[in-house]
Amino acid sequence: MKNNQQTTFFQFFLQEIKPKGKVFTPFNLISGLVVFTALVILVFRFKDGLGSVTHASQELPWGLWINFNVITGVAFAGGAYVLTFMVYILGMEKYKPIVRATVLYALLAYIFYAGALLLDLGRPWKIMNPIIGNSFGLSAVIFLVAWHFILYMGSLFIEFYPTVAEWATFKRQRKIFASMTLAVVIFGIALSTLHQSGLGAIFLMAKAKIHALWYSEFIPILFFISSIFAGLSLVIIIETINQRVFRNRMSFKHKSAHRSIILGLARTCSVAMFVYFTMLVLVFLHGKNYSYLSTTWGYWYLVEVIGFVLIPCFMFLQAYRTRNLLLVRIASFVAVFGIIINRLNVTTIAYRWYDESFAWPTWQEVVVSIAVLFVQIWVYTWIINRMPVYNASPEWVEMEEKKESITINKKERKKWMVSAE
Amino acid sequence: MDGFSRIDIYDTKGIEYLFVIGYLLALIVFWRFSGKQIAFKTQIKNVLGILTPVNLKIPQGLFFNRHHTWAFLEQSGLARVGLDDFLMRVTGEVKYTSYKNVGERVNKGDLIAEIYKDEKRLKVYSPISGEIMLGNSLLDDYPEIIQENPYDKGWIYKISPSDWVKETQSYFLADEASKWLAGELERFKEFLTGVSMRKYASEPSMVMLQDGGELHDNILSELPGEVWNDFQKEFLNFSQSES
Amino acid sequence: MDLDRRNFLKTLGFVGLTFTVGKSIGSNDSATTDIEFKGILFDSTRCVGCQSCEYACAETYGFPEPEDSPVPGIIRKTDENRRVVVNAFETSKGELYMRSACNHCNDPACASACPTKAMMKTDEGPVIWREGKCIGCRSCMISCPFDIPKFEYDKPNPKIQKCRMCYEAIQEGGMPACVSECPAEALQFGTRRELIEMAKTRIYTDPENYNHTIYGEHEVGGTGLLYLSPAPFEEVGFRTDLGNDSYPELNKTFLYSVPAVLILWPAFMLGIYNSIVGRKDNDQLAKGGQS
Repeated sequence: MKNNQQTTFFQFFLQEIKPKGKVFTPFNLISGLVVFTALVILVFRFKDGLGSVTHASQELPWGLWINFNVITGVAFAGGAYVLTFMVYILGMEKYKPIVRATVLYALLAYIFYAGALLLDLGRPWKIMNPIIGNSFGLSAVIFLVAWHFILYMGSLFIEFYPTVAEWATFKRQRKIFASMTLAVVIFGIALSTLHQSGLGAIFLMAKAKIHALWYSEFIPILFFISSIFAGLSLVIIIETINQRVFRNRMSFKHKSAHRSIILGLARTCSVAMFVYFTMLVLVFLHGKNYSYLSTTWGYWYLVEVIGFVLIPCFMFLQAYRTRNLLLVRIASFVAVFGIIINRLNVTTIAYRWYDESFAWPTWQEVVVSIAVLFVQIWVYTWIINRMPVYNASPEWVEMEEKKESITINKKERKKWMVSAE
Repeated sequence: MDGFSRIDIYDTKGIEYLFVIGYLLALIVFWRFSGKQIAFKTQIKNVLGILTPVNLKIPQGLFFNRHHTWAFLEQSGLARVGLDDFLMRVTGEVKYTSYKNVGERVNKGDLIAEIYKDEKRLKVYSPISGEIMLGNSLLDDYPEIIQENPYDKGWIYKISPSDWVKETQSYFLADEASKWLAGELERFKEFLTGVSMRKYASEPSMVMLQDGGELHDNILSELPGEVWNDFQKEFLNFSQSES
Repeated sequence: MDLDRRNFLKTLGFVGLTFTVGKSIGSNDSATTDIEFKGILFDSTRCVGCQSCEYACAETYGFPEPEDSPVPGIIRKTDENRRVVVNAFETSKGELYMRSACNHCNDPACASACPTKAMMKTDEGPVIWREGKCIGCRSCMISCPFDIPKFEYDKPNPKIQKCRMCYEAIQEGGMPACVSECPAEALQFGTRRELIEMAKTRIYTDPENYNHTIYGEHEVGGTGLLYLSPAPFEEVGFRTDLGNDSYPELNKTFLYSVPAVLILWPAFMLGIYNSIVGRKDNDQLAKGGQS
């Protein structure tokens, strides 16, 4: 019986791999070219060392791959933990239609950005050392972040697996994984809090190197709060794009709830950004950074904080109040851009601000960075086109769920039913 | 220490993380364990007490209404009214208060008495209309009679009926009454395991009925006041159409 | 059912962890070592800029010999091909030569930042890099306040290059190559305690010729390399704004709160869940009842 199932799944999988729709769309062509170039670049990277394709130096050891793909990219994957918190813990059914897509995005983000991290490691063949080796650098924030990435990927995978099981008709597996959802969501939120703030904590020991306006002991908290609205802003952008691209797959209920979902997220972002701005002010006061405001760095700081945090905060607010979807979209782009700027400031731009060690990333770094994003988009699209992320779940799911609730009710009733007669 | 030999401010990190992992697993167990309440067994007061239809005394000549009060027409023309055995056995030891005095007129469905245990009360409504001629003075001194002898010495009022025939037309007599009471027992069992219990337990708790699911005496006395209110509505209140 | 499965999977995963972590927990026991840190004292009043230390280091470790000499106005830095350099400075006390290499801090930032313990503070004092464990993440480079660790960007099998205080020689009772080769006795080797006393003695006995600080006595929690200079240390290229707290302390608040968050957050969320979603279910059950 099992063998039969295995072969049919394999055949099913082979069939599913075949592309649906046109292969040679403009997007596919461009991204294909970029990815191919990136692979060539990576051959050189491994053959000739990091220095041959990046501008990493003794002064600036980390380039775009860590500073952008990992530290910035992971912030954007924060939508998953916020959304699962809202849907599963707070019970906000309104956001249920987009949960699966968001969890999928985050799962892929972590997989690919952890992959990008591997590319940036000087000696990636030793990667098993901190995982199973007897050399746990327990005092290192990076160790913690790495482990949390792994555990969180596992959590996201478990959260997403019911969708996979529905696609592959694994009834029993779907039931098992669906029952773990709550535990894994809670664990995931605790993990996310720690690794989002951990990405900031990595830089705590770079106290002497980061400009005072961006360095404080509160970096971890700031990174955590900003990951909330970074994630949600990206969810808004993705959802907006998906509404067009995957229109045919979304249920009517989802499409009609779109406006309400976007506006709700906008409001949440606005509140998070307001809190974030307050924290920034607090940190500013605490550090007595007033004298810096009149320097060039001070002006740049104000541009980031006011132009890319406070302004989109109010844009979101106004958009929510006037139900203006266009304004929400603009605000989310501004917010996303602001996060990128902030993360790059802490890690690259305001890092070693005092000497001339700054170097623009090489074109090879940029190509590989973008290629990682493209591959992520490919897998994302592939999955959405086949699995019930936006598609309706297959009919047997509803039957299974009914069966489950009947069994639960039966068990409940049995407890109290009189066993007489 | 003091800069001359090894320092490690993070040396407990390993143990801490292992401990946290253990905690998270223990939390799952703890949470599930804390969510279930233990089966709530009712105490057995009366060794004898197994209420079955056979046990309930159903004397002849008494008219039973649906709300567990009865009326009996004496030779004198006065009607004796009282509470039935079923009610007395499920409530157990209760105290009694009467609400009507001699000479008062009463209509079918009026409140005439209350039985209560501490804060839990049940209202009793009159099965017939008429004029109160006598209240049972024995009950003042010996309230337990109402339980021991509900159909005979435990009557609560003697009423001069104004419309005996019409009002008692729908009431049960003799065999009919036996059948009806058996049905009421079943209904009571369902009531116990049904909505009322669910509402008033914070988690569906288990009301265990022993041995083949027969009811013990005095079940209601163990249960909270809200259940008494529900019982009142289900079993004792007159609906609009009746009074 | 689910409980057992989850339990099983997790236990399976963590059995491995326990075996591995177990070892490292044991080895982390700090209180039992009575070994005192060794250090090096560099006295700028004696250094003549002959670069013997550079040549000695290059010879010991197979690096190319230095091609340039210390010239005031040009800052030479260590890199992947040289672990120690001497720089010249024009100061208020004349031309001075200063050595620059790993300071072997008491509580090193690099060792704390290393996720694999490749950078390790040995009991004897030197901070060493272990090739077998390094994954090349370069966190040590980000964290080091002195920018000492250097990475071999141009090699497919890159290493981190940094002075290791000739650790193997020290373990056998010898001394670092640079110290034994210095003709002017500008470098002294001994326990940190001895060296500080020696340095203090020199300052007390010759107060006009020395700046009255031993750099490294307290900076960043104390370093194994101690420096004496006639001129103030800002004039010889040293950062004096690093503070006296050890760098790993900067992570303390964050790392100490990690287990607390892992304990509190799940409990907190279970509470929220129960009060919102759990109640909804209970209400439905109460109303719906018969299904």
